Amino acid sequence: MKKVSHVIVAVLALSGFMLPLAACGSEAGSELLGYISPSPMSSAGISVTEQPGGTAFELKAQPNEVLIVYFGYTNCPDVCPTTMVAIKNAKKKIGDLADRVDIAMITVDPERDTSNILPRYLSSFTDRFHALIPASDSELRTAEKAFGATSSVTKVDGKVEVVHGGTAYIVDETGSVIDQFPFGLDAQSMANDLTVLLNERTQTK
Amino acid sequence: MKKTAKALTVAALSIVSVSGLAACGSDTESVDTTVAADSSMPAKPEITVAGQWARQSPMATDMGAVYLTINTNIDDELVGAMVDTSIAAMTQVHETVMGEGDSMKMQEVDKIEIVAGTPTELKPGGYHVMLMNLVKPLELGTEISVTLKFAKAGDLVVTVPVLEEAP
Repeated sequence: MKKVSHVIVAVLALSGFMLPLAACGSEAGSELLGYISPSPMSSAGISVTEQPGGTAFELKAQPNEVLIVYFGYTNCPDVCPTTMVAIKNAKKKIGDLADRVDIAMITVDPERDTSNILPRYLSSFTDRFHALIPASDSELRTAEKAFGATSSVTKVDGKVEVVHGGTAYIVDETGSVIDQFPFGLDAQSMANDLTVLLNERTQTK
Repeated sequence: MKKTAKALTVAALSIVSVSGLAACGSDTESVDTTVAADSSMPAKPEITVAGQWARQSPMATDMGAVYLTINTNIDDELVGAMVDTSIAAMTQVHETVMGEGDSMKMQEVDKIEIVAGTPTELKPGGYHVMLMNLVKPLELGTEISVTLKFAKAGDLVVTVPVLEEAP
């Protein structure tokens, strides 16, 4: 996984982002290796319908925990499972701290990702998750806007083409986005950041 | 991971002599696979594949992806890929491309240029062989056979282990 830093550089460069990190990220430290947005973002007060059950899930972490929010879709063989496996393996690396990591995946393809599909998909990667299936287009767009994310689903020649962001967002108990995992960030770097963020929360309690 | 692939016959360049390396065994430490040999050429033309893996299927999805690195000493083009219909109904070569911001989308590609001396990586977030409508999930510990189709060198069959992530 040594090429990851190049991927990160490429992703950030393409995004026009400044690089806030010493990208190599294999040693645990106190610095975050993800992307920290210079402009604050928050998903406080924004909810997406969780399935099964159909209740509104507010996009914020439980007290003293972090919530990873990811926009994706299950018919995605490349990008989404790469990130999900990295998150799964990051959780494995951080021992008991993993109990304080919650994951919400918001499907950008709610027409195909029904309540039968998305929860089962997520259960392949974690036993603690929220399968969020927007009940309306505006529900999806409102959630995306909070993170500066975008997506589209179009049908071209009978084929469904999905465009979505590759970033996983780390949200705290107030709904603030405190870190971002760009596509390609490796599990070790994610584990570093989750450890730093969770330890900070322990110390402030 | 150096699982071997079996070399296949080659339909290249009209006058083809299949290289001595057709059909290496399928286990041991073997070298990857070799295709094509035109005896009139100075060095033995060779396309090999390394680091191949297929992604373990998450539940509730019937899409799959295969990744690998192509090494070559000839210029050629990867023009397609296929698997047996007992594995997936359709196989295509895809590329994930970056759009604005962090947006990404997948698209089918007609071909991937491969250049002598330069490894071509099919890896997450870039090129991959996409398996569509998997007949059954790809399970850890199993292997599938994938045929890569090259414009000049012909077909190359690669044995691909199913893994959770890159080896």
